[in-house]
Amino acid sequence: MKLHYAFFLPAEDHSFFSKLRDGAVDAAGSMDCAITFHPIDSDPLSFEMARYSGFDGFGLYLYEKNKNKLQYLSEILKEGIPVVQIENEVIQGSGSFFIGTNNFDVGKGIGKLALDTGIDTLNMTLVYSKKNPGVMSDRNLVEMGIKSVMGNKLSGLKTEETSLNSLDAGMLAYDLLKNDPSIDIIVLTDPNDTLVTVQAMIDMNLVGMVQIIGFGEHETIKAYIEKGVILGSIVRNPYRIGYSTVMALKEISLNGYTSAYVDTGITILSRQNP
Amino acid sequence: MKNSLKERLLIYFSISMIIIVFPMGFVLINSLNLQEIADRRFEDEQFLQELQTQLIDIQIPLKSYLTSYSSSSLAKLLFIIETLNESIPSDRPVTSSNSDLIKREIYFLMDSYLVQLNQIIEQKRGRKVQQYINSYEKLINLYEYISNRIDDVSLFGFRVQLEEYRSFLELFRRIQIYGLLQILLATAFAFSVLMQTVNSIANPMYQLSLLAGKLSGGSFDIPDVHFNSVNEVNQVAEAFNDMKHNIHHNIEELKKQKEMEQQIMTEKVRNLKMEQLLKKMELYTMQAQMNPHFLFNTINTGVQLAIVEEADRTAGYMENLAALFRYNIREKQFFVSLRHELEGLKSYYNILKIRFPKTLNLLLDVENELLDSFNCPAMVIQPLVENSVLHAFKQKEGIGTIIVSVSYKDSVLLISVSDDGIGIPEETIKELLTPHTHDYKLSSRVMGLENVIQRCYFFYPGQKDVIDIKSDLDQGTEILIKIHTEVQPCIKL
Repeated sequence: MKLHYAFFLPAEDHSFFSKLRDGAVDAAGSMDCAITFHPIDSDPLSFEMARYSGFDGFGLYLYEKNKNKLQYLSEILKEGIPVVQIENEVIQGSGSFFIGTNNFDVGKGIGKLALDTGIDTLNMTLVYSKKNPGVMSDRNLVEMGIKSVMGNKLSGLKTEETSLNSLDAGMLAYDLLKNDPSIDIIVLTDPNDTLVTVQAMIDMNLVGMVQIIGFGEHETIKAYIEKGVILGSIVRNPYRIGYSTVMALKEISLNGYTSAYVDTGITILSRQNP
Repeated sequence: MKNSLKERLLIYFSISMIIIVFPMGFVLINSLNLQEIADRRFEDEQFLQELQTQLIDIQIPLKSYLTSYSSSSLAKLLFIIETLNESIPSDRPVTSSNSDLIKREIYFLMDSYLVQLNQIIEQKRGRKVQQYINSYEKLINLYEYISNRIDDVSLFGFRVQLEEYRSFLELFRRIQIYGLLQILLATAFAFSVLMQTVNSIANPMYQLSLLAGKLSGGSFDIPDVHFNSVNEVNQVAEAFNDMKHNIHHNIEELKKQKEMEQQIMTEKVRNLKMEQLLKKMELYTMQAQMNPHFLFNTINTGVQLAIVEEADRTAGYMENLAALFRYNIREKQFFVSLRHELEGLKSYYNILKIRFPKTLNLLLDVENELLDSFNCPAMVIQPLVENSVLHAFKQKEGIGTIIVSVSYKDSVLLISVSDDGIGIPEETIKELLTPHTHDYKLSSRVMGLENVIQRCYFFYPGQKDVIDIKSDLDQGTEILIKIHTEVQPCIKL
């Protein structure tokens, strides 16, 4: 019997989710099952009614612990419908599985890149983004990872946040670079924010004055790394995440169980490891 | 490929029709497919709309039942629930189509809706007020969600339908253009094939008309025609060749017949000439004869008179004369034995000896064995001797000698009559030795010599030397008749 899985993802069409969808679609094609994608934010009723809709399993990217959503998720789990939580494990229990990146590892990767600057003590500004809520929802893990690697070399860690607006990172970068000359390194957690921030730094002729750690493997980001404009970049594997989610759901449907935790890992891009 | 005109036209017509019918058929099939897809889409849409209508229909009796316990509302509610349960398909396959997946989702939502509806009814019956109020709120949410999903699938279906419609329109546009091109190509193909076929008929026909013109002008040496055209035209060409050969053959036959007729006519003319000559000869002969019977009877009377008067010499003379006449009268054949001819000559000799006892010396030199061995034309020797007696010794004194000799050598019978007279002038000899033509007009003055010469020419037309005259003036004349015994005379009577 052919199975139908529903993916509830943020509506943003960023590269992370595009690649995640690509991985899921390819996996569905190879495993002879159907998948449909539903917005988790803009259409909350859809998620509320999900348990009545006859789906055989869920891929859920729930990055905030919203009360209603947690309740709907609990009701789904009560129905015995398998759920794979992607990137953010907001609820734990029977029938719930996790696939994604361990954000502690993300923080450790950022710390390692920061140490490559050779600066003894660093003032770091970490910019979260709603465009990549998975990192933002586990911000504590990220920061713990950074601190575990840098120790006392991290003199200060300041956090900022950008919205879904793809250009607001530019404004934030202008403000940071103008008003806070003590910043040694800026860490971005979204590929779009990375590109916009670097462009702002180039415009202000501050290349080399402030180090940038980016996010993602966009070709332009790779080019900046090669030129030394960006120190390095943290890369997750959204395609693998999407593919693994479908694979896990299928396995649960067929066998009733799968590995409860799958870490798809990160890759650190730098001039030494392009 | 078949070479018959009929088959060719049938094949070309079929090909053209296939080329035209194919795109038309393609358009028709796609039109039917489009209609089928549209029908199916409308059927699905209609079914979903019916579901939505039934959902709407539930709301009033539901609210009425929950607010007033109306049994009629409950009955209506249960009826709609039953109807909906029967309407919702139980087979819900998972396909790759988004539309089908949404419909599948709607069917599951409808199941949940009906379950919750039954729960509310039970809660109402159990007077669990707070529960059915909460459940009703959830049910309303579910109802709205189902309605939205139905709208979604309708909208999605409409968009898909619109996209399909655009695709079909684009496809139809292409098909129509291709169809038009195919029709144009088919028309061009049919026209070129038609012209080719017409040319393959018209050109040979034109050539045949030219050749027929030449043939009617009598030119039978024109070469045979062969065309690489349709069978019908090739058969006409073969028939034309046969006709030409037959006409040529018949005309040649007619020519041959005409030539044969010409030859026959020539032969007839020749025979007529010969008959004329024969008649002439007969005339010559008759002219050469006097009235022999009268003379013979008269001479016999004279012989009897001479005997009565005891004149023996006169009686002998008259007897010889009678014998000569008898010979002339009795002899009606053209050829006689040499003996017979010479007996007549001897009678004539005897007469001449009595008439000219002292002036004429007559000699006869013939071998006896020749007399019965050979024939010669009748009445040829005596006239020659007579000719010498009459003309050779005129104005000549002394004794004249006439010698008749017959010899045979090398298959030639040679009869010679010679005299030692005054001779014959050369012009006269030439004139005498000229053969008479059929239009030669006989004169009453046919001489004996001329008679003999012309008869010899007549009997032996292929031999110019059958008779010859050798003469020297004042020396004498020799007339020679040469008969080639191996050569048959042209006539036998």
